[in-house]
Amino acid sequence: MILPKAAQMKDSLYEKWRLFGLHGIPLWTTLLLMFLCLIPSDLVGISRFCPTVGLICVYYWSLKRGYIFGYISAFTVGFFMDVLSSSPLGINILLMMLTVFAVQWPARYFQSASFSINWFIFAVVASGVFVLKWLLLSVYYKLLISPNEIMFNYLATVLFYPLVAAINTGIQKLLPQERINE
Amino acid sequence: MVRRSVLLIQTSELKILLRRLFIAVLFFCSIFFILLSTVDSPLTSGINKAALRVTGPIMQVVEYPARILHRAYTYLYDISRIYMDNRELRAENKQMLILQNKVRSLEVENQLLSRLLNYTPPPEANFISAKIIAESSDNFTHILFVYIGDEAVKKGQIVLGEESVIGRVDTVSGQYAKVILVTDINSKIPVVVERTRARGILSGDNTEMPSLIFTRSTADIQEGDVIVTSGVGGMFPAGLPIGFVSLLQSNEIKVETLADISRIEYVRIVDYGLSAEQVKIFDDSSESGADER
Repeated sequence: MILPKAAQMKDSLYEKWRLFGLHGIPLWTTLLLMFLCLIPSDLVGISRFCPTVGLICVYYWSLKRGYIFGYISAFTVGFFMDVLSSSPLGINILLMMLTVFAVQWPARYFQSASFSINWFIFAVVASGVFVLKWLLLSVYYKLLISPNEIMFNYLATVLFYPLVAAINTGIQKLLPQERINE
Repeated sequence: MVRRSVLLIQTSELKILLRRLFIAVLFFCSIFFILLSTVDSPLTSGINKAALRVTGPIMQVVEYPARILHRAYTYLYDISRIYMDNRELRAENKQMLILQNKVRSLEVENQLLSRLLNYTPPPEANFISAKIIAESSDNFTHILFVYIGDEAVKKGQIVLGEESVIGRVDTVSGQYAKVILVTDINSKIPVVVERTRARGILSGDNTEMPSLIFTRSTADIQEGDVIVTSGVGGMFPAGLPIGFVSLLQSNEIKVETLADISRIEYVRIVDYGLSAEQVKIFDDSSESGADER
């Protein structure tokens, strides 16, 4: 009688760990994409035309799988965005968490919306994030940062959304639908 | 049964409350980090160093396949151009030989004049070559990550591209260093216009062309003037080229850097024997410089 119960417990523990590992995939792939964007431009051949991949991924995953990509994941992505740049620590963390906050609350209304609507909503959310970042950095440095460069970065981010979203959609298909029982 | 269901409801409510509290703590942490960054805190510097130690090897692994592919492409491209390159190099070699003779005679002349003036030459600088492993392409930030191996590199040391200044070392952790480029908003370098010796500060503003600020309105500056380090502040030695004036307006002077950062694979980190105090003084002065604005 004891052996089957122990085996059952072992199975359930294994299942929990398996789900935990699978649920971590969005965060790991986001970080990997961020690192890929850091490949030196002498290798890529394109100078400074890289989108803010972290923002795209945070938006995508918090919209599609909010229960596995929440504030902790956004905090981690923001933290790496900060340490991999010269921005003051905390700015990107705050912005990524605000993105999750802005997306998760109305997510149920446009979760099943068409791709073009999601793209449009992303453009709106990203514009808010970029304007806020511009304001925060301008206040931090006590200097009005040129909006032209930021505009260019924003456009690159919006234009790259379909590509990053397509990669994330492929990853999403591999993920299980079930949640970890608390 | 009723008691059990009440208990369950209370537990789930407590879970929601704890979750909300945890989210609030995360928001508070991010604001705390921002406030902490405004002062030169050892905590933020420690976090940055620890993060660089972790991310450095990952960046190196990610860069490796891209580097191999690029080398293969360059190899094939070079083979296709070998005949043309050879002809160009022969012509260049002839000119270099003429220049070499001129340099030799100038060197002798320089030594004679130095002896006449009783001039004490400055100590020779040591340098190490470091490979670029990552580059932040974000328009909010202009930085490089380099692999320094076991070499002793310190914060504040100057970083040269092929022949001109491209930035300075910001963080060193383990075998990796973060380099702030001259175009980054955190970069402030005391400079002079080579032709007229007019002084100013080359200030990065996250655009491709940094601005020349704090120059006299009467200073004689023209487009094409070469900008070199002034040596003021003791951070950088004097006379190192950085760029040239490319845009001259009544309220703005823009400088184009000599180095094309997008084409640089290796950088030179130069040690001019700067002390930690000098680095600190420079940090303080650049911060107060930013405050003045």
